[in-house]
Amino acid sequence: MSIQEYNGGSVVAMVGKDCVAIACDLRLGNQATGIAMNFEKVFPVNDTLYYGLPGLATDVYTLREQLRFRVNMYRMKEEREITPETFTHLLSSTLYEKRFGPYFLEPVIAGIAPPTAANPNPQPYVSTLDSIGCITTPKDFAVAGTATDKLYGAAEGLWEPDLEPEDLFETISQTLLNAVDRDALSGWGAIVHVITKDKVITRTLRSRMD
Amino acid sequence: MECSFGITGKDYVLLASDMSAGRSILQFKSDENKIKELGPHLAMAYGGEPGDTNNFADYIERNMRLYHIRHHHALLPHAASSWIRRSLADSIRSRRPYSVNLLLAGFDTTDDTPHLYWIDYLGTKAVVPYAAHGMGMHVSLSTMDKYWHPNQDRRDGVDVLKKAIAEAQHRLSIKFTFNAIIIDKDGIHTVDLAAEDPIGKIEAEKAAKAEAEAAAAAAAAAPPAAAPEASAPVAAAA
Amino acid sequence: MALFAASAQQEAVAAPIQHRFDPYEDNGGTILSIAGADFSVIAGDTRQSQGYNIQTRYARKVWQLTDKVVLATNGFAADGANFVKKVKQRLEWYENAHQKQMSIKSIARMIQTMLYAKRFFPYYVYNILGGIEEDGTGAVYSFDPVGSYEREACRAAGAAQSLIQPFLDNQIYFRNQTFPADQPKPIPGNLPLGTVLGLVIDSFTSATERHIEVGDGLEMYVVMAKGRAVDDLTSKGALPEGVVVEELGPLGEGGGERTFLVRRTLKRD
Repeated sequence: MSIQEYNGGSVVAMVGKDCVAIACDLRLGNQATGIAMNFEKVFPVNDTLYYGLPGLATDVYTLREQLRFRVNMYRMKEEREITPETFTHLLSSTLYEKRFGPYFLEPVIAGIAPPTAANPNPQPYVSTLDSIGCITTPKDFAVAGTATDKLYGAAEGLWEPDLEPEDLFETISQTLLNAVDRDALSGWGAIVHVITKDKVITRTLRSRMD
Repeated sequence: MECSFGITGKDYVLLASDMSAGRSILQFKSDENKIKELGPHLAMAYGGEPGDTNNFADYIERNMRLYHIRHHHALLPHAASSWIRRSLADSIRSRRPYSVNLLLAGFDTTDDTPHLYWIDYLGTKAVVPYAAHGMGMHVSLSTMDKYWHPNQDRRDGVDVLKKAIAEAQHRLSIKFTFNAIIIDKDGIHTVDLAAEDPIGKIEAEKAAKAEAEAAAAAAAAAPPAAAPEASAPVAAAA
Repeated sequence: MALFAASAQQEAVAAPIQHRFDPYEDNGGTILSIAGADFSVIAGDTRQSQGYNIQTRYARKVWQLTDKVVLATNGFAADGANFVKKVKQRLEWYENAHQKQMSIKSIARMIQTMLYAKRFFPYYVYNILGGIEEDGTGAVYSFDPVGSYEREACRAAGAAQSLIQPFLDNQIYFRNQTFPADQPKPIPGNLPLGTVLGLVIDSFTSATERHIEVGDGLEMYVVMAKGRAVDDLTSKGALPEGVVVEELGPLGEGGGERTFLVRRTLKRD
């Protein structure tokens, strides 16, 4: 079993109409043994930007602390909030610093930049990185974690363009739940964040506990 | 073959560890204390590679003490868990990592809540209501799943712990003896698992201690010049 | 000392060369079957690959066995073809001995014994058997390579099993779906044919998008129960654009069940 699958866990993000959603399961395991059912893998950067870190749990904490530090430094120096695009590149270079001893994570980012004079109409944004920081920016959805292939199948079958926030919530929830139910290393509850321009809807989902 | 358990309750957290020390099939010792007190309301049960365990536990203990001395208050459980986790996370990517797994238990005196953290040698941290390390993870987690419930009182907590230990003793081929502690708002207390009513025993000890303290306080409040001969009439009056 | 070094070197050269007998191959592709109340759909893509090479864009994985039973095979194509050949031979013997075609549940049990007979040199094949039960209901039986089997409402197998099965859990078994109190949860295996074909097509187009071993063509065998109207398959506009239907004649005397082959292209990249 690879080190990325040691603790289990999955993350999925999806683009909707003027909204994005990002969701994760809540399991933390020690190989096949379940340890905790409250281990969130998706964290906020600010009101309109979230990121998920599925992979080795020790690196989830370490990278989250590192990113909190770097985003706070950015916020103080720039006196503005970081955009999803900039955050993706910040995360990419943070991961690449450890090119020859990487963090065993596959981050997923979802957000909508706040409108500015230069960019009055920002679009919903989803991106994903590999463990050494190579960026992919899909138009539809991004998946990562131990249920990756199941998530791809479910998302490819259920997702459609221009979903409204409530429909996007249903789509990402069904995608995640049905994928993690077929993965022994993911599941044990789930949490979903739907990000719109002016609010974030966070819901905890009940799921199979086996 | 190590085994440790942690269980939280309404206003306390229990920590138990086996007391064996040895190598492969040999047991060298059966009374090794593998629970360390890290502060007035904080303790950990640790296990792993012999040598690493004691060295790491001492390192943590001294640093917790240093923080207490420098800042005139101890680290709260959550902050301590972050620092200990970070020590292990840095260690795992160093030239010679520590192989130490631990259960960190503490009582937050600022909001009167019990805390339990499952931490492994990689720096993985889980915030849990009950947990096990070592072989206990394989044999007794399901016992705790069945009998643990939120906000249970101390005696129920000790019952769950006894069931978990019984399961480990029943299923594992090595014989185990366990020591246990309980942490509550008053601090850390030894739990005598062999006693008829371990909690009753602790409460009796607490009451005796409180009585002694009250007596001492009363004695201190008595006339400052009170010399042995001066106190004699008071005793006579009583 | 020099002598010692020379002998040590010879030791290294004389290390035994080991050969391992590995007669198996994974030829990719995916199969899928869904049962209806009075029909059954058995589908497979037509790509056959070996590693990153495509051997052919049209290789059959789905086979008509009797007038009401179709078998899909996936895994090692050579084993699959040979296994189907042996099953067909056994079915022919049965028909000659008993003057009737074998029922689907008997074929399923026979496949179990045939697979388990090779327990220690197995056919590297995942089988899905679909068709009409003797009571006229649609049936799906799925097997592992050594003959463990069960009857189900649907099953995906092969390269894209992990992509398709969660989707089917959701759409066929209604997993993680809640229904209002006045509307009971539907019983799986009763969806109309149009819906089922739509799900099969969606499953394969999705798998084609994300899996390199799936694509080129899609063959869906539809077995209709005796006396069932077939206008939901054959009438004009019943199926989406680009889907072609062909009726396959009865293999035996014909008991009234009808089998159709529905084809569609899949992306070739």
